[in-house]
Amino acid sequence: MMIKANIKMGLSSLIAAKQRSILALLGIVIGIGSVIAMVSVGIIVKENTLKQFQQMGTDYIVISKGWGGPSGEGAPELTTEQAEKLPLFVPTIKEATVMGTGSGNFSYQGKDYNYQAVAVEQDFLGINRLKLAKGRFISDLDVNMNYVVIGDEVAQAMAKNNIPNPIGAEIQLQDRLFTVIGVLEKAPTGGIAPFNANRCIFVPLSTYLSVFPNSEISNILARVTGADVATKVTQDIINYFKLRDPELSIEVQNAEQLIAQLESQMQMFTLLLGAIGSISLIVGGVGVMNVMLVSVSERKKEIGIRRAIGALQRDIQVQFLVESLVLCLLGGIIGLLIGVGASYFIAKHNGWEFTISSIAIIMGFGVSSAVGLFFGYFPARQAAKLDPIVALRS
Amino acid sequence: MSKPLLELKNITKQYQLGPVTVDTLKGINLTIYEGDMVSIVGASGCGKSTLMNIIGFLDKPTSGDYLIEGQKTKDLSDNDLSRLRNEKIGFVFQSYNLLQRLDILENVAVPLLYRGWPRSRIVARAREMLARVGMGDREDHTPNELSGGQQQRVAIARALAGNPSLILADEPTGALDVKTSADIMALFEELHEKEGITIVLITHDVEIAEDCPRRVLLRDGIVAEDESL
Repeated sequence: MMIKANIKMGLSSLIAAKQRSILALLGIVIGIGSVIAMVSVGIIVKENTLKQFQQMGTDYIVISKGWGGPSGEGAPELTTEQAEKLPLFVPTIKEATVMGTGSGNFSYQGKDYNYQAVAVEQDFLGINRLKLAKGRFISDLDVNMNYVVIGDEVAQAMAKNNIPNPIGAEIQLQDRLFTVIGVLEKAPTGGIAPFNANRCIFVPLSTYLSVFPNSEISNILARVTGADVATKVTQDIINYFKLRDPELSIEVQNAEQLIAQLESQMQMFTLLLGAIGSISLIVGGVGVMNVMLVSVSERKKEIGIRRAIGALQRDIQVQFLVESLVLCLLGGIIGLLIGVGASYFIAKHNGWEFTISSIAIIMGFGVSSAVGLFFGYFPARQAAKLDPIVALRS
Repeated sequence: MSKPLLELKNITKQYQLGPVTVDTLKGINLTIYEGDMVSIVGASGCGKSTLMNIIGFLDKPTSGDYLIEGQKTKDLSDNDLSRLRNEKIGFVFQSYNLLQRLDILENVAVPLLYRGWPRSRIVARAREMLARVGMGDREDHTPNELSGGQQQRVAIARALAGNPSLILADEPTGALDVKTSADIMALFEELHEKEGITIVLITHDVEIAEDCPRRVLLRDGIVAEDESL
């Protein structure tokens, strides 16, 4: 009864001082809004990234030729042989395949297409967990054959130019004719793979090495026996290459490593935005305190009357605390809506899957209540401590 | 003789105004009995308001004993005094002192709210009291929609709501015209005569004082006269 009456009173006095309440709310709205947006964007990014990694698998590693080291003619290179022998020497590696990259610009029926060419062998498909939509993939028997398999977006681009079934099409690539033998399904993107399968055309490695200019093996892609060995395997791989070619510099990336990196980045980001949000909440809270102090001094008479007819100090304190709580919760709800709305647009804009996190909602309510209670305490205490006689006389 | 309701024994009150000590009350001895209707009169500065604050538990005397229904009040805490105000005293002020943002039913309900009654009982009691003072048909009006006399009636209903031992009225007709004053006084007299409610009226209006069966005159901080009319 008392609490309900207090909430009603609080609301009515906030409505009575509309402008002031709105101005005080603004700070809370911005504070809560930014905190919620930040938490919820953080959670969305994390979930989306983790999902990408999970689709790719955490047992996936990418070995790249590192930067630095000698270059040009006779410089150390990754070789197919190294990739083939890798699982023999590093037993935690299950399988490995090599790839090379080059320009994938081709033309077909007078139209030009700009994509990336990726040179692959037969086991590339399985190691990268790609799926065929149509036709077949490059096989180890396609030595020096002018065949290509195209990614989903490439197929779509061709479909737009009225080529609904590109299988069998003879495209012009590196001044030669290549026959399209397969189309891939849409593949998840992101993660650590050094290519975007949807925007690639795949050619047999042997063809690539003999036809493409400046062709070289750029990466070895491998699956290890489990996510838990990913870190140890990195060192083994580096040692393996150091023994064979001390001049070759190697970089190994695994999903674990990248997730950890991402998480620490996210933590920094969260900390930074959290600090900004906290500052705006403090500013908003001080605004609320100010409004409450003005409210107390304007309503001394009311406090006096209430005290005269039997309100305890505690009753007065609760009344003003509830008022500041109601004010902050109102701000919190608006801020929550704005924050969730903002994160929705950020997610949509970046093509992430949007989720409303319960943590953000609980935080919104929790933080705004805490701000209301914290910054309402002092004004409420002042109201309660007023001498009833003095208060009545004002 | 009926039972003593309030007993003031050698009550003094001193204020410290900077370096000066002001003696407002210099030894008040006064007993008010159940069913009394007493006016406390005196010129400005005689200590009327201070005495009212002490009787109404808004203030504590510097020395002396104040008993209500035989119970000493000297060492009571702020919470105890608040409860005494809520349960024993019904205040009526010169400026009505209604809460402007509440309708008059809610105004009458406030003292009961602090008493922690259940809602249905509060509403029933508040309605009853508004009807009692002839304001039953306006319960959803706010105070500023009412005339002074009507507001004072609501204030009296609020004072009566908690079924107090004493109605303590401070210049209840001070802001009203002659006709309305008479109506309010008639209401007090009716409450006193028909229901035996104890009423203490603080006033400087001689005519109002003459409506009360007993008159206490304060002069310079002491009871100068105490007579039945």
